[in-house]
Amino acid sequence: MIDRPLNRTDAGDDWLDSLLRADGREHRAAYVDDAGFTARLMAALPAPATLPAWRKPALALLWAAAGVAIAVALPGAVTDVSREVLRVILGQPVSFTGIAAAVAALGTATWAAAAIALRND
Amino acid sequence: MAEPPLNDAELIARVVVHDDRHAFSELVRRHQSAVRTTLRRLTAGNHALADDLAQETFMLAYRNLKSFRQEARFSTWLYRIATNAFLADARKRKEELLGDRDSDVADDDDSDAVIFDSAGPDPTRATTLRVDMDRALAVLSEGERAAIVQCYHNDLSHEEAAQVLNCPVGTVKTHILRAKQKLKARLAAWAPE
Repeated sequence: MIDRPLNRTDAGDDWLDSLLRADGREHRAAYVDDAGFTARLMAALPAPATLPAWRKPALALLWAAAGVAIAVALPGAVTDVSREVLRVILGQPVSFTGIAAAVAALGTATWAAAAIALRND
Repeated sequence: MAEPPLNDAELIARVVVHDDRHAFSELVRRHQSAVRTTLRRLTAGNHALADDLAQETFMLAYRNLKSFRQEARFSTWLYRIATNAFLADARKRKEELLGDRDSDVADDDDSDAVIFDSAGPDPTRATTLRVDMDRALAVLSEGERAAIVQCYHNDLSHEEAAQVLNCPVGTVKTHILRAKQKLKARLAAWAPE
């Protein structure tokens, strides 16, 4: 035990200090047998939050449905946006390195998404 | 070849990241004795109440394990939760506790009693001291008792005790000073002639 300087009420308190230290040593040397304590505690813990297996496909389906719904709700918007994007892209001089960078970025994004999905599983 | 046992930090990481129940049960097994003996001291020997509070302590630890920053030892963090649980419970049942204090100590069920280290010089003296100390600690206020238990029984420094008790170091010192004045009167029989 590391003796630390503890406050004393007066110089005549040494016996009390010794008594408390002796009791403290006994306390630290004591071991309370588990006697089923851990088992009872583990049984009382809340059940683990397990996600149902159908959660991912259901979410994907919902997102797809939402996408279709938006496309239907905004007729012409999707084609307009696509046409404008294509026009901007075609209006730019496209180099081989540009195409390679785009493919690399797309590949990185795909692999990163796959890695995150696998980690969650 | 058997794998070396995981340390507390590794077990905590498994619980936090994977909700690993086996890892948490290992943490409980490792620390249940220290937490239960501390609570038995804080409750002045009321084993049933101490075990209820110990269960509450570990449940709270499980729920809040993500907030454990590993700045202090895991055991110190558990002592803090246990002490808070004790103080909250004491506030709730203060009158009941004051009335039943003596009978709790006297009727204490020793069926799962503390097993003392046989290396001690005199087990009978140690047992008598434990009983007398439980009775003497019972006259202290909850704050005074908690300060004595953390500093003497759990061997924490004043700074660590202040962290566990969530109060300034000066308050810990005051609690100890006052507690020792009361204990001196209650344990006078142990004073040298």
